[in-house]
Amino acid sequence: MEKTITKDILRDELFSGRGSAVEKLFHRYGGMLFSYIQQFAPSRTEAEDLLVNIFARLASRLETAFESNLSVYCWLQTEARKIILESRQQDPGLVFPKGSNSGESDRKVYYFSLLVDASPEHRHVFRELFVNGRQREDLAIEMNRDVTHVGDILRDCMVIIRKKLA
Amino acid sequence: MNIQQYIASGIIETYVLGLALPEEASQLERLLPFYPELQAAISDFGFQVELFAIQNEVPPPTGTFSRIQDRLRELPAVKNPVRPAGRASEDKKENEYVPVRESSTHIRVHKYWRVAFIVVFILSKLLLFGFIYFLLQYRHAERDLRALKLQEQTTNKANLSPDPQDGEK
Repeated sequence: MEKTITKDILRDELFSGRGSAVEKLFHRYGGMLFSYIQQFAPSRTEAEDLLVNIFARLASRLETAFESNLSVYCWLQTEARKIILESRQQDPGLVFPKGSNSGESDRKVYYFSLLVDASPEHRHVFRELFVNGRQREDLAIEMNRDVTHVGDILRDCMVIIRKKLA
Repeated sequence: MNIQQYIASGIIETYVLGLALPEEASQLERLLPFYPELQAAISDFGFQVELFAIQNEVPPPTGTFSRIQDRLRELPAVKNPVRPAGRASEDKKENEYVPVRESSTHIRVHKYWRVAFIVVFILSKLLLFGFIYFLLQYRHAERDLRALKLQEQTTNKANLSPDPQDGEK
């Protein structure tokens, strides 16, 4: 594996300058994050816009990675998702993944490629919670089920993903 | 609490992917200091996530980083962290803008390479001077040896050749 950026490396890079730290993160993780973002964006152009927005917004708060229990890359992924969901709340027409609102089948991209064998209900719950950032309560009401059921389905999806990744 | 059962429930994956509810996340974070296996499980799954991301990597379009740099220039001032030893200069940088390095043909190396380079440079110079010194010594010695041999030959010839006056007698 190409060299992972640890928190110590990021800290040293920040001492050299914020721009330098962003550059290092982009050159190491830009491609990985770009692929991850495509789950949330309908096109490459929109994914690129999101990538630019994510790095620009994270630049001023890279230090928060040190407080996280996650690795630098996992922290980047979770922060990227938060920024995407925030952007979507501010402008609902900005981005939406194909298939999420239009009844099309799920694109077999990224984490969805690990859930191809899961039931349609599992994929629906994962898509609504992960990609569309919906609350478990809202989804439970829509599905006419209780919140615990939604939580259980989500955990099933997580276990499937873990097994597929291992 | 059966910690292995807790780990197997999918909580680690939910937490790493950012899908845990606030109460689930805070419960996990409270348990972390007491159960090192939880941090190990987070690291393991994080590693798998990173590996999966590498396998699915797609290079962003060219020019993406220039767009990020442009956005960084527009940002309001953000102070860089300062190393503990360098606190004196911290006050001077109150209104510092985000420094953005232009892409260049230069490379950045660790500062220890400077020391290594100086040592190698000095050693190479010492070796060069040593080489020149011994070369000159060798040439001098060779010249002296040749002169001695010549002198010896001349002496031998002089000793062997008969005295012409002795023959006449």
